[in-house]
Amino acid sequence: MDSKSTSLDFAIIGHQESWQSITSFINGIRNASIEPLPVDKIKDVFGFMPPRDLFKITLKSKTGNEVNGVFIETFIDPDKLSARYLKTNISKVKKAISLASKLNAKLATLGGFTSIVLEGSRNEFKDISIKLTTGNTLTAGFILKGIEHACVQYDIRLEESNVLIIGATGDIGLACTHYLKQKVSTLLLNARNQRRLETLATSLRNEGVNVFCDTNLESLVPKADIIIAVASSKDILIGNTKNNVIICDAGYPKNLENRLLKKEDIILFHGGMGIINYGYTFSPNYKPFFYNYPVDNVAHGCVLEAVILAFEKKYENYSVGKGNITPEAISNIYQWALKHGVELAPFYNSKGLCKLFNTKV
Amino acid sequence: METLTNNFKSIEEFQVISDVFSQAITGELIGMSNFASLSGTIEDPFEKMEAIEHANGERQHAEGFMAYAKKTGLNININLNGSYWGRIRDVFLSYANKNDFIACLMIQEVMLEAFAVSMYTDVGRVLEDEAQKLFLSIAEEEKEHMDHSTEILRSELKKNPDDFIRKIEIIHYECMTILSEFSARTDLSGHCGVCHGDCMKNSLHHIGLDVVTMRGNALALYAEALDNIGIPGEKSVLWIANLPA
Repeated sequence: MDSKSTSLDFAIIGHQESWQSITSFINGIRNASIEPLPVDKIKDVFGFMPPRDLFKITLKSKTGNEVNGVFIETFIDPDKLSARYLKTNISKVKKAISLASKLNAKLATLGGFTSIVLEGSRNEFKDISIKLTTGNTLTAGFILKGIEHACVQYDIRLEESNVLIIGATGDIGLACTHYLKQKVSTLLLNARNQRRLETLATSLRNEGVNVFCDTNLESLVPKADIIIAVASSKDILIGNTKNNVIICDAGYPKNLENRLLKKEDIILFHGGMGIINYGYTFSPNYKPFFYNYPVDNVAHGCVLEAVILAFEKKYENYSVGKGNITPEAISNIYQWALKHGVELAPFYNSKGLCKLFNTKV
Repeated sequence: METLTNNFKSIEEFQVISDVFSQAITGELIGMSNFASLSGTIEDPFEKMEAIEHANGERQHAEGFMAYAKKTGLNININLNGSYWGRIRDVFLSYANKNDFIACLMIQEVMLEAFAVSMYTDVGRVLEDEAQKLFLSIAEEEKEHMDHSTEILRSELKKNPDDFIRKIEIIHYECMTILSEFSARTDLSGHCGVCHGDCMKNSLHHIGLDVVTMRGNALALYAEALDNIGIPGEKSVLWIANLPA
């Protein structure tokens, strides 16, 4: 009851990426005396549930300040993240936003797929008091800082590198493009929509940026020294890569490892993630069910954006719309994150920590 | 058979619609009995009269379904003592006998009505003409019952949230376990005693429905009803996750 009467600093609106974590959660909260449910029976109910607050979150800053929030699960079916189910999913996200508002959260971040609602028209949210952010600015910040760190560790000169951005016309893809456009040798841009891709490439060429673009990855991958994947990797196949290519998998879900035709001589890490150094607790403690990172206290950049804004008491629509993220905004929120003891997460992938990366940091 | 030929596309459709109406009539009669029992738990004379009025409303719903069934020649089986409906009635009566108005309200107007409103709406959307109107209009009336009880339960929660939530949790497991077993893909506690022959859940596709969607929608409406009362989401998700499936 307290959650409904007391003001919360932030709400995180999210969804699960796999049935594995959902099954773990549902069976984890089922009484030990009753049988665990098989995934098919969980699937029968999960996607029907209306959004609800699952647990409270408390984070501590390096400065000693504390912020309190809540995680709102949208109950979006992980098998239904495609455009075909857009209407149903958007409706769930809107209900989740209403719930965040009802819970008196000052700010809500729309994690993962749910950010799509804020990348479109926001007219329907103009009457609600809660501030909204996609969290894409800090996500982009962690992706880009990750790339910069990787370059330092592997002695790669970013300014001499060809960087491929998969999903370049999306909000995070655009943020990465604009941040990197004056910092790399060549930008290789890939997206599904040819018209948008060419419009972007033309605009960059007019600024004097060296750009190649293609909706087909095959022509771009062999040229890339660094690959940033911010699109859903379901339909992506990556083959014919250069040796020692650095790949930052920052899509939802992060399963690019399964889409690589060649797995040797590739350095792949999961990007867009940060680590909280001064305290990160869930109540009830559902971390064992939802949390599957190789080190403690790691979280998505989109989640941490709300946290950092709350620490800074900047309850504002920080990341909204599409293509509005500036390098300055990335730099600002990244600096605020450092101020509060939130840093780039150690490099890891599905096999665990990337030892070489982290020993050099 | 003449009536059957006139009104239904196939014998399978006739059978499944007969079972749908049999369940609806049985459910309404259980609701009628529950509201009549509920009136005994109420002190306030106006609330008491309202409970009787609701009982009469459920009777009228049952009569409406029965009249349609008679007109179209449906094969109706009413069984208030079947394994699920009988157990639901027993749970309700256990609280009515203790004059526990809040518990009775929770069972009848939240748990049972959530399932009724959702399932009537699903059925109404696939049936045609008069049957469609009948199910959708009754769903609308049942929804009013839910809204009415929500206000009372919300104010009850405010008086003592912890005690209220503990109480509702107990009732949830007593009543929703039965509804969950009843609405699972296969009847988890045997035949319901209402459907003719095998369980109608396997035949719902003949009228464009499936039990997974109907159950999912019903549980979703129940979850929303709990939200509207003010039960925290972190509690209701736990309660629903612990139901049999």
